[in-house]
Amino acid sequence: MSLIELRNLTKTFKGKTQTVEALRNINLNIEQGDIYGIIGMSGAGKSTLVRCINFLEQPTSGSVVIDGKDLASLAPKELRQLRQQVSMIFQHFNLLQQRNVRGNIAFAMEIAGMKKADIDKRIDELLEIVGLADRQHNYPSQLSGGQQQRVAIARALATNPKIILCDEATSALDPTTTTSILNLLQEINRKLGITIVIITHEMSVVESICTHVAIIDDGVLAESGTVEQIFSQPKTAVARKLIFRKSGADNSLIGERMIRIVFEGSSSSEPVISDLVTQCHVSVSIFHADIRNVSGKVFGQMILQLPEDKLQQEKVIYYLQSRNLRVEEVTGNVH
Amino acid sequence: MSIERMVPLMLEGIRDTLYMTTVSTLFAYLLGMPLAILLVLTSPKGLTPKPLVYRVMDALVNVFRSIPFLILMILVIPLTRLIAGKSYGSTATIVPLVIAAAPYVARMIESSLLEVDPGVIEAAQSMGASVPAIIFKVLIPEAKTSLIVGATISSGTILGYSAMSGAIGGGGLGQIAITYGYNRYQTDVLIITVVLLIVLMQIFQIVGMYISRKTDKRIRE
Repeated sequence: MSLIELRNLTKTFKGKTQTVEALRNINLNIEQGDIYGIIGMSGAGKSTLVRCINFLEQPTSGSVVIDGKDLASLAPKELRQLRQQVSMIFQHFNLLQQRNVRGNIAFAMEIAGMKKADIDKRIDELLEIVGLADRQHNYPSQLSGGQQQRVAIARALATNPKIILCDEATSALDPTTTTSILNLLQEINRKLGITIVIITHEMSVVESICTHVAIIDDGVLAESGTVEQIFSQPKTAVARKLIFRKSGADNSLIGERMIRIVFEGSSSSEPVISDLVTQCHVSVSIFHADIRNVSGKVFGQMILQLPEDKLQQEKVIYYLQSRNLRVEEVTGNVH
Repeated sequence: MSIERMVPLMLEGIRDTLYMTTVSTLFAYLLGMPLAILLVLTSPKGLTPKPLVYRVMDALVNVFRSIPFLILMILVIPLTRLIAGKSYGSTATIVPLVIAAAPYVARMIESSLLEVDPGVIEAAQSMGASVPAIIFKVLIPEAKTSLIVGATISSGTILGYSAMSGAIGGGGLGQIAITYGYNRYQTDVLIITVVLLIVLMQIFQIVGMYISRKTDKRIRE
């Protein structure tokens, strides 16, 4: 049984003039211990999706099952209790401006009905985890964005949740702070075994810490799987677009026949192109190339423009395939 | 008017004015606060939307707010008699003052509560906060600064109403201004009451703003 199960989840918003289908028939299983990235362009419905997981938004149809409990079947009080097991952090941190760091962390526990002495003790532990002990008496307005998000994480951890939902939690932060917050989340996942669901529009977030990823496009689940699977063999156009977004290649330059080579693991470090040139005696232009580290695995891609001669083209493709590289033709659109 | 007569008269006027203003403000908040919370909760975008309840209360507040204070004072005379035993004097004036101020205060509180960042409310909901917890731990504490500013403005308005009530039997500085300054053409009394009202208003304003600034944690020190 998965920790989080989404079954045929559909959400429509009824406006006065039109209805918007924010989510259509989403099926997704998230296992205990996963760091599950949910990625999509803005407006794809991912924020609605994450709010369905803790029922801040009630799905129009379909079901959300957490730890074996169907959320739709819970009484309001039971739902509130369940939410103490499913914490959430936000893009804009959403801290109480009139409470200091300790007060903000205490808030989650006051709601959970904990005793004052227990709360104080737990705050000290949490401040240690997020590294804010020296800031405990400061107010949110006196903290940087990264520090505020750490307070929010401490608050989210306060009630010993099973799951933390992150709604664009690093989108308002600079790259360095983003890295430190992502590292903290990863540490929390590893040390405390908390399942983390990350909503983001940035593939770099998925790359750096996620184990699994689901791609949401226009309210529909385009594909889902482990990060490696999706990165090495994206099946849908939207997945390719998100993964190769940084390629920067200009579509207008495509006239000749082009191919994309995907490198995984050890093949990334081999001098494939120079071997190709010396052994096949052809010349190719490198149109675009990049290499990244996706959750510890090296992953690269290169887009080559092939020579004009048909025979030589086949030679190149045959050679690359013989080196166990994935080769796919790029037609019309680099993405 | 001689100084010997003026001073006790004015002291009595200040005392009555402060009495009417503070007691009325207090009662107006006792009535206005729950009204405002209900408005915020039941509004279509509130935590517990009840469109019908909201529309009825919203309309009622508007109706009471659109009746000019002096006319309201006359309209509620039977009620004033019932509650205070008579329809003139400082204590009696508190009745119409509260009725006029409560809807005004409710609107002030409503707008303060609506200023609270919806994201923070959503965060509280995501932690499993109940509606009362959101009201007392999020909405009111987070709106505190704005609520104090609102209370400052409201008490100033009530001070103004209390002076107005002097025209038809209310007490305090307003009554002194009408009786001596207007009916008996004693311009010196008129001027002094006006100056005193201005000073009172200033004090309210300065004290209120000071408290709101002091308690606001959003300001960097």
